[in-house]
Amino acid sequence: MDFLLSDRQKTLREGIRGFAANVIRPQALSWDRNAGVPEPFLKQMVQMAAQMGGQLGVSLEPAVARAPDESGESGEKKKSSANLTALIGAEEMAWGDAGLLLCLPGPGLGGPPVRASGTPEQKERFFGIFKDMSETLAWGAYGLTEPGAGSDVAGIRASCRKEGGEWVINGRKCYITNGARAAWTVVFATIDPALGRAGHRAFVVEKGTPGFGVGRIEEKMGLRASETAELVFEECRVPEANLLGGEESYQSKEGFMTAMKTFDNTRPLVAAMAIGIGRAAYEYARDFVKERYLLSRSIPRYGAIAERLAKVGRQLEAARMVTWRAGWMADQGIPNAKEASMSKAIAGQAAIGACIEAIDICGAEGTIAHDHQLLEKWFRDIKVYDIFEGTGNIQRIVISKRVIEGLKGF
Amino acid sequence: MHRGEDLGRARGTMIDFAPTEEQQALQEAVRQFAKTMLAPRIRETEKLRGLAPEVQAAAIEMGLSLASIPESSGGPGFSFVTRVLLEEELAAGDPAATYGLAGPGAFALAIAELCDEARCKQFLAPFVEHPDRFGAVAWGEAKPVDSRGGFATTAKWIGNSFTLEGTKSYVVGASRAETLLVFAQVDDAADWNGVGAFVVPKHVHGISIERVTTLGLEAADVASVRLEHVRVPRASYLNEAKEWSHRLLRFFVKNALLVAARCTGLQRAAIEVTRDYVQTRTAFGKPIGHFQAVAFNISDRFIDLEASRAMVQRAAFLWDAVAAGQAEENEALLASARAIGFAQEAAMRAGNDAVQLHGGAGFMRDYPVEKYMRDAKQLQVCGMTTTQADQLASRIELGLPLEWSLLVPTAESQNVFV
Ligand SMILES: Cc1cc2nc3c(=O)[nH]c(=O)nc-3n(C[C@H](O)[C@H](O)[C@H](O)COP(=O)(O)OP(=O)(O)OC[C@H]3O[C@@H](n4cnc5c(N)ncnc54)[C@H](O)[C@@H]3O)c2cc1C
Repeated sequence: MDFLLSDRQKTLREGIRGFAANVIRPQALSWDRNAGVPEPFLKQMVQMAAQMGGQLGVSLEPAVARAPDESGESGEKKKSSANLTALIGAEEMAWGDAGLLLCLPGPGLGGPPVRASGTPEQKERFFGIFKDMSETLAWGAYGLTEPGAGSDVAGIRASCRKEGGEWVINGRKCYITNGARAAWTVVFATIDPALGRAGHRAFVVEKGTPGFGVGRIEEKMGLRASETAELVFEECRVPEANLLGGEESYQSKEGFMTAMKTFDNTRPLVAAMAIGIGRAAYEYARDFVKERYLLSRSIPRYGAIAERLAKVGRQLEAARMVTWRAGWMADQGIPNAKEASMSKAIAGQAAIGACIEAIDICGAEGTIAHDHQLLEKWFRDIKVYDIFEGTGNIQRIVISKRVIEGLKGF
Repeated sequence: MHRGEDLGRARGTMIDFAPTEEQQALQEAVRQFAKTMLAPRIRETEKLRGLAPEVQAAAIEMGLSLASIPESSGGPGFSFVTRVLLEEELAAGDPAATYGLAGPGAFALAIAELCDEARCKQFLAPFVEHPDRFGAVAWGEAKPVDSRGGFATTAKWIGNSFTLEGTKSYVVGASRAETLLVFAQVDDAADWNGVGAFVVPKHVHGISIERVTTLGLEAADVASVRLEHVRVPRASYLNEAKEWSHRLLRFFVKNALLVAARCTGLQRAAIEVTRDYVQTRTAFGKPIGHFQAVAFNISDRFIDLEASRAMVQRAAFLWDAVAAGQAEENEALLASARAIGFAQEAAMRAGNDAVQLHGGAGFMRDYPVEKYMRDAKQLQVCGMTTTQADQLASRIELGLPLEWSLLVPTAESQNVFV
C-alpha cells in the first residue's frame, strides 16, 4: 500500500495549481460571462501542454484516460499510473476553472470511443488532426443524448440506414459539449429502435458533412464558458468508412458495449473534476472563516461552523479516495465499472454539498461575483457534475446491477 | 503471526491500494477466524460479555493478543496499515468481539505513545510472557470538575508513594484486566496539564470494579473503577515524557482510527447480510432487492464502505509514513480525523439501514442486524466522537493550536469508551 504521490505527480499538481491560481482564476469569470475562452489563450494552453511533453496534456484532456487494453499499450503487464495521474491533474485544473477544462482543444469526450472501438485507420485519421494544433485548434465531440433520450440510452431515436457506400442519418442530438465547433462528433443512431442496443451504430460525423447542421447553443446555469450545442441531422450522408469500428464489430452486442465501456475511464475523471470544484469552494469558505471568525473562542456558533467545514472536508476526502481507487484499478487493468460509478456518485454529491455549505458559511458575501471571488460561479458550475456522464441515479443503477444478484435493471 | 519484511512500509513511488502479500496472508487468516469463530457466536459473545474460552484460545494461538505490541517490546511490530486491515477483518465477523480479545489492546497503544522504549518494554513484558492477559485504560470520568480543569481523581505524593483516589468511568475490559493505565490529577493548579498516568496492577488494595450495562458492544465489558487510597510507587508514574499532551492526543487519534477500522468491518457485515436478505425476501412478486429504492440504498452503503476503507487505510499509511519520516504529523492527524468521522457515521447508516431493510424481522434478535445497529451507535462513542474528530480536522485546517484538552474526550466535552 502506498498513498504518497510520486515526485512527478507532485510536480504536476504544483505546476497546475500555481498556473490555475495566477493565470486561470483571474480570467474565469470573464470567460463565464462571455460564454467562451478566447482562442489565443487556448493556443497558449496547447503550447504549454506540448512543452510539458504531453505530461500536462494527460491532465488537460478529459479524453486521454486510456483503456488499459488499448492497442500498442500493454496496460496489463506494465503497471502504469496514467489514469491516476490524469485524475490528479483533472482535480487541479477544475480547481482552477472547470469551464476552461471542457473548452480545451482535443478529441474531448469523443476520444474514448474512438480509442476503444476505432479501426487503426480511423484512429489515424481522426486523431491525426490533434497532432499539431499550433495553427488550427481542433475539437472532437460525443453525441449520444437526444431530446427524448438521456439516461435511457437504449431509447435513442436518431435513425441510420445504409444506402450504397453511405449511411444516412436523421434525427437530433442535444446538449453536446463542443458540438458546434467540433471537427468531428461520434454520433449514435439506430437501424431499428425495436432492436434496442443491438440496433445501435456509432458514426464519426465530420463537420461540413451534407445534411449535418448545428441548432441552438444552450444558455446554461453554469459551465457557461463551455459550448453546449444541439445537432441536427437531415438526410445526413456519412461515408461507410466512418462507421466506428467497421461493420463487423456490430455483429455481436459487443460493438456498442465497447463504446459504453469508455465510461469506466471517464467517470472517475468527471468525479475528479467535481472534487476540484468542491475543494475550491471548501478552501474559499475555510479561508473566509480563518479571516473573519475567531474560532479559538469557544462560542458555540463558531464551533458549529467549524464542524460544518470539517464535514465538507471529509466528504470531499471520501470522494477523492473512491475516485483514486477507481483510477488505480484502471491502471492495474482491474475491471472497475462499479467503482467508476461509485466515484461519480459520491463525488457529484460531495462537491455539490461543498458548494452549498460554502455559501451558507460565507453568507451574502459568498454570492457576489468578483474576479477573485468565484464561489457563486462554482455553485453554478457544480450541479451538472451529478447530471452528465450519467446522473447520480444512473450510477446507482450500474452499482445495483453489480451488487444484487439477478437484477437486470429498472 | 509473524512480521513480514516489508509490511506496509511507506514508499511514495506510486499510489497503490493493494496490501502486500504478507498482509494479504494475515488478512486471509483473520478473515477465516472471524468467519468461523466469531460470526457464528455473536449472541454467545454478547451474553458472556466476552469470548468463550475456546475462541479466546484460538485467537491467542494466532497471535492476535500481541497485535498491539511494538517489535522492540517483543511484539510483532505490525505497521499501522496492517493493524487496520486486521481490525476490519475481525469486526466483519463480530464488531463487539474486537473488544473482547485478550491482550493489552489500547493499553499497549497508550504505553507505546507515552513512554520511552525501555519503559514500554518493561510495562508490556508481562503481556508478551502471558498472552492471555488483558490491559485497560482508565481515562474517563462521569462528571466534570466545577472549580478547575482536569480530573476529579487525584494522585497525591504522600510519603514515598502516590495515593490514588477517585472513580474512573467507561473503562473497557476493566474487570478482566490485570493492569490498568489510570489517569489522575497530580497537580490541581495546572488544570489539564496537571494530569498524569499511572500503571496500576488491578489487584492492589483499594480497587473495586463495577460493571455497567451498555447499549451495544457487550464484549467490551465496560466498568467503572473505584480507587480508594490506592498506593502505587513512583516508578508507575508516566508524566515525564517530553511533549506529553501531544503524545496523548496522538494516542487518542490512533486509537480512534482503530475504531474507524472496526466501523468499516461493521459496515461490511451489515451490508453483506442485508444484501443477501433482500435477494431472497420477496414482496409484490419479486425480490425486494429488485425494487429501486432498496437497491439504491444498498448501493449507497457500498459506496460508504469503499470510502471508509480507503480513508482509514490512507490515514494508517500516513502514520507509518510519519514514523518513517516521510510525512508530516498534521497530515496524518487530518486524514485520521476525517476517516474517523466518516467511518463512524457510515457505520451508523449501515446499521440503521440494515434493520430497516429487514423490516420487522430486523427488530428481532434472530437476525444479527439489530446488534450491528446497537454496536454502530456504541462505536460512535468509542475512541473519539465524530464531533471531536471534526473539531480536530477544522483546527488543523484553520491553523489553530491543537489544544489537546479541547480535542480529547472528557466529561467537559463528550465522554467516550477507551
Ligand atoms: C452541460 C452539459 C453537457 C453535456 N454534454 C453532453 C455531451 O457532450 N454528449 C452527450 O451525449 N450528452 C451530453 N449531455 C447530456 C447528459 O449526458 C444528459 O443530460 C444526462 O445523461 C441525463 O439525461 P437527461 O438530461 O435526459 O435526464 P433524464 O434521463 O430525463 O433524467 C431526469 C431525472 O430522472 C432520473 N432517472 C432517469 N431514469 C431513471 C431510472 N431508470 N431510475 C431512476 N431515476 C432515473 C435521472 O437520474 C434524473 O434525475 C450534457 C448535459 C449537460 C447538462
